[in-house]
Formats: sequence, structure tokens, C-alpha cells
Amino acid sequence: MDKIDELLLSELARGLSLTLQPFNEVAVKLGISVDEVLLRLSNLQRTGVIRRFGATLKPNTIGFTANAVVAWNVLSERVSEVGTYFSSFREVTHCYERSSVEGCWNYNMYTVMHAQSRQIVEQMVKILAETVGIHDYVILYSKRDLKTVKNKEGT
Amino acid sequence: MVTDLPLNNAVDGRVNKFHICMLDDTDKHLLQLLQEDFPLVESPWRELSEKLGVPEQHVLSRVKNLYATGVIRKLGPVFDLSKTDYNSTTLVALRVPDDKIDNVASIINVYSNNISSAVGGNVSHNYEREHEYNVWFTLAAKSKQELTDILNEILQKAGLSQNDVLNLPTVKRFKINVNFLVNTVATADGALGEFGFG
Repeated sequence: MDKIDELLLSELARGLSLTLQPFNEVAVKLGISVDEVLLRLSNLQRTGVIRRFGATLKPNTIGFTANAVVAWNVLSERVSEVGTYFSSFREVTHCYERSSVEGCWNYNMYTVMHAQSRQIVEQMVKILAETVGIHDYVILYSKRDLKTVKNKEGT
Repeated sequence: MVTDLPLNNAVDGRVNKFHICMLDDTDKHLLQLLQEDFPLVESPWRELSEKLGVPEQHVLSRVKNLYATGVIRKLGPVFDLSKTDYNSTTLVALRVPDDKIDNVASIINVYSNNISSAVGGNVSHNYEREHEYNVWFTLAAKSKQELTDILNEILQKAGLSQNDVLNLPTVKRFKINVNFLVNTVATADGALGEFGFG
């Protein structure tokens, strides 16, 4: 990534402008051609800096009203097998191995799941749990997106 | 089109948690394309309009509408933090008294918009969850040391002790693929057929 890539990404990270030729606007701002903007974007995508270019949706607005992190206690020698298996489900959007906190929080694997109801989340979790034979887990339903909480000054 | 949201919701971009937007087939198809196949070309809406069979201007006005009603949170690049300078990441859980949650959330949120680079901020997700540990957020920094420093700063500002924190650094990422099958939800018959495992 060079300086222009960084400027380009900073510009686009605020959100693509909703105009007929959105990349032209960015090109003008950076003083480069639109072809260069598009070439740089596809290079950043190819090298993986941009994981995905597109829309991020709010799950609850499209019917996915039950959103949960599930924390699992997985034996270290089974982490690889279990993580790969959990990741194979479309409904599991994220799957991470994380450090546990000895003596107070033994969970070391985290899956994020989205569904139309808690009942469906629980059915999915039950299937995962039974398939891998792991029953030490906790479902952490999201209650509120706290990023929408404003500070006292209202900014 | 999104039809059932009152204007006041559209204005501040918030949507009632249990309010599901009514989307027609074109909206659903559009959302699918926007999520996984956004054309990186000079006239992206024209390319999408050809796939959807509706005029270019209609595509753009549908996108504006989906933004206004809060279905689309963001349209742009999603970064792989592990390939940027901000490659030390952790998930933090806090035990916060209920009446202090908003205060603590606003302290954390300062870090969601504090970096003048493309990454935007150290905090990307911040949720209240139903558990004794009730505030969960993700933190990214340039080093493990910086992660610890930011976390300590947040704890100090929030008046929380180390006993109220779980710091759960990333060991390995197995998967991240947030791509919702819009076509299978909010259908008239409420069928969940395609939402099974497979």
C-alpha cells in the first residue's frame, strides 16, 4: 500500500457516494484517473487488504432478529477440527479461536450466528453441539448495538 | 421498495429492533448483488441495472431508499485488519452495572472514530449482550502493547476494575463471511426452507 492507496481507502471508507459515477468523484479528489482508481481497488482486493467491496446490512432489518455470539469450550487438540466444521455452515458468519482466561472464562472458540428467531439459533447450536460432542457453551444474544449510543455532548 | 417505515425512522437512520422492512424481489436481488458482487467499474449502477432489468436511475434511488431506512449500513470496502497495520485484535467483555451501560458505551465509542486512516477507529463492534458480562466490543491496534494501553484507558475512564473485564485476544480466524441470504427471509409465507443446514 502506498500513500495514494491509503488516501483512496480513507475516502471510500466513509461510504461510496450515491451518484451515477461514484468512482469518478474519488478520482477527481485524489487527482488521478478513474481507471487508476479502479485498478488500485482491484489490486487491493487481490492482495486481500480489501476483504470484500460492497454493502454491509443491518441484520434485524431483513428479518435476522436473533443475533448471537456463541462461546465454546473446545479442547486445544480439537480446535482445528471443530473450527473448520463450524465454519462450514452458512449461518455461522464468524468463527474465531481466542485465548481463554484461566479460572474464570474457559471458552476459547467463538461463532457468530444470525437467524429469524431465538428458537432457530438454539436449534442450530444444538446441532453443532451434538455433532462435535461439545456441551460446554454459552449463547450471548445481542440486545442492542451500542455503537448507536451517543455521548453526552450528542456528537 | 421499502414501504412500511415511518419517515421519522428514515430520517435518523434508526430502525426499530423488531421492525422488518418489506422488500420486493428487486430489492432482494439488489441486496444480494450489493453484498457479494459490487461492480468496480465507472458506472456501477448501470451494470447492476442490466442484471436487475430496471433503469439505472431506479437502481440508485432504491439504494438511497435502502440506506435511508437503515437496511444498508455501509457501502464500501471492508478491510482485512490482519493485512493492515492494525493487526493486533481482541474481543473484550465488560461487566457493567445496568444504569452505567450507556455511559460506558459512549466512552468506548470514542475509539470507533479516532483514527484518521482508512481503518477509522480502534473499535469496530460494540454490543450489549444478555449476560453477566453485558458489554462486548472488538478492539484493533498496531501492537499487543497498544491494545493493552487502550483497554486500560477505557477501564480507567469507565471506572471499572480488572475484575470486570475479559480480554480475549484473537488466536486464529477460521471464518468471516457476512453475506445474508436476503432472498430467503421476510417472504410472504414465512417459509424457512432454504435456511436449513447444508
